[in-house]
Amino acid sequence: MTKEEYIEIAIDTMKKGDADAAAANMNNAIADGIDPAELLSEGYSAGIREVGDLFGKGRMFLPELMLAADAMKAVSAIVEDEIAKKGGTSEKKGVMVLATVQGDVHDIGKGIVASLIKTQGVEVVDLGRDVPAAAIVDKAVELNADLIGTSALLTTTMGEMKVLEDLLKEKGLKDRFKTLVGGAPVTERFAKRIGADAYGEDASQAVSEVVRLLG
Amino acid sequence: MAAVHELSSGMGGIRTAGDLVSRMVMKGMKLNAAKDYVADKLHCSVLDLSDTFAMKEIRESLDIGTVLDRKGASNGMEAKFNIEKILGIEIPSVTNFKKKTGLL
Amino acid sequence: MSEFFTRLGDGAAVMMSEEDIRYDVEDGTADAADRGEIPELSKEEIDYLVEILTMPMKNVSVERGKEGIMTFDAGTLKLPVRAGIPVDRLATLMMHERVLCSDTMELCTTDYSYKSIKNFVQEEAMTMELAQNNCIMPIFYGAMPNLGQYTKPDGPIDNWSELLPMGKIAEARAAQEEAVEHAVSDMVFITGQMAEAGACGIQFDTVGASGDADVLAALMAAKELKKRFPNVSIEMGMAGEFNLGMHGQLEYEGERIAGLYPHKQVKMAAEAGVDIFGCVVNTNSNQTFAWNLARALTYAKACVDAADIPVVVDAGMGVGGVTNTNTTPTDVTSRVSKALLEIAKVDGL
Repeated sequence: MTKEEYIEIAIDTMKKGDADAAAANMNNAIADGIDPAELLSEGYSAGIREVGDLFGKGRMFLPELMLAADAMKAVSAIVEDEIAKKGGTSEKKGVMVLATVQGDVHDIGKGIVASLIKTQGVEVVDLGRDVPAAAIVDKAVELNADLIGTSALLTTTMGEMKVLEDLLKEKGLKDRFKTLVGGAPVTERFAKRIGADAYGEDASQAVSEVVRLLG
Repeated sequence: MAAVHELSSGMGGIRTAGDLVSRMVMKGMKLNAAKDYVADKLHCSVLDLSDTFAMKEIRESLDIGTVLDRKGASNGMEAKFNIEKILGIEIPSVTNFKKKTGLL
Repeated sequence: MSEFFTRLGDGAAVMMSEEDIRYDVEDGTADAADRGEIPELSKEEIDYLVEILTMPMKNVSVERGKEGIMTFDAGTLKLPVRAGIPVDRLATLMMHERVLCSDTMELCTTDYSYKSIKNFVQEEAMTMELAQNNCIMPIFYGAMPNLGQYTKPDGPIDNWSELLPMGKIAEARAAQEEAVEHAVSDMVFITGQMAEAGACGIQFDTVGASGDADVLAALMAAKELKKRFPNVSIEMGMAGEFNLGMHGQLEYEGERIAGLYPHKQVKMAAEAGVDIFGCVVNTNSNQTFAWNLARALTYAKACVDAADIPVVVDAGMGVGGVTNTNTTPTDVTSRVSKALLEIAKVDGL
């Protein structure tokens, strides 16, 4: 089969959330001499982006999104093994502490973001909802995290993101962790105003920003 | 927020015929049909329904309650007794009142 | 080129040219049309919307005779709780009737979820009776289905938001189906008590906040309530512009619930016995007010065109084109009001 055919199958397996078929396609492609990293990027990642778009339009639903995320994880594991076999590194790309800010109990969106970021080989430690800024910072220090992501759904709780930024500055930790913010009332302007390093309008942008921040 | 919507596009509540039109919309009647129905029952024009001056007179004459209360005028449940009859509908709380007081 | 004062989706002020405003209006209506598979606004409607957006007045209003009815979700939460005014709920209702001149009003409690009300429904019914004795305008009782409250630790059921990321999809779906049974039972009981207390209407608010199971529960409760109390009006206000598929496979009367947009949501609601449908379109904080309002109008117009029952649009903070800021600017709110009534031809807000 050609690389294009493998890419087409890869996208299709993501849309179907079929982990077994996704893994089989990747293994067959590797046996055919296709570069697994390229297939991951042009096929599976493209597929999961399409899944994200369909989810955003209400044409695909949360269970299918989760199945696609699982299929992505299965494929990523194969690619990491393959890289390791060739003498590369298959270490995790980074550690991210994620939480819904204090006073806010909305976490459906954060759960989706966590699942999709994990597909990129990032270890995500989800602290849940209604988490005080101090607890987020303490956990990030304890885990030696690279990133701190926070979510807020309420205009009345998004101010907690600034509390976190101020706390990081006060403790001299601002340069140690990159920060990512998101949630319905949060905007890029707000992110810049409080000094966050990145903003994710939706799960798909959050993933791209995490990848960018981790270099 | 509520005040702005009321001023920009609201019927005007009991200052006008907002409560009456609402009662018909609540029965599944579309807005324009509800306005026509109420205007017919009150023997006024559709434009009168959201005109404070016209509706003050109509409400006072029908004794169905106004914003500024008057001695001897119907209010609350009393006004709803009259509204029920004028609109030809059943208002659940009026039915309850009648049952409790032996009127039904 | 002259510029006009307008706003961004989060409420921030910005000056824009008419050309840029028109571009955003066209882009907003195209976005809604693409997502909802519905018609875009016509050229005449776009022209009129641009005119409304560029009117020099701070506040605008509908033309005489085009007024609609006003309903209020979270009604008695706003003055005594959120605004902190030390008045009780009955006084709040009277203030709405006599001062704000609301067309209708809703009695509700601070924990705006049906499950919580079960414990003090008798006291709520007493308040409704008192309100009915004192008020002339129609009074609703309202709360949210809020299926999330049935999950651990607040309820008996495993949390599907935790099960789904673990890949336990069958378990997550089963948990939601179990929650539907509990929620329907609670909602039928509570709304029945309020109907017996003389409520003019019952509001199921923010339906779908916990996904498609939340919608199913509200539809089933509405159907049962209408069967038992045909004279009590039912209003159903949604949580978003499409039903979020947390379960994904649930059906009502043979049709999948997840993914339905307002023009299809309203049909399902009407079938269940709902008398007034509350259409919701979410505001995108990152886009302009022009883009958001055009989008809201496109969904609302399609919903009105499809509906056999009256449609009111939720035009509160962060929905219906209203900017996503707690203190919404009056220039925004009044333009949303005018545009929804005159362009989308909704029956009220």
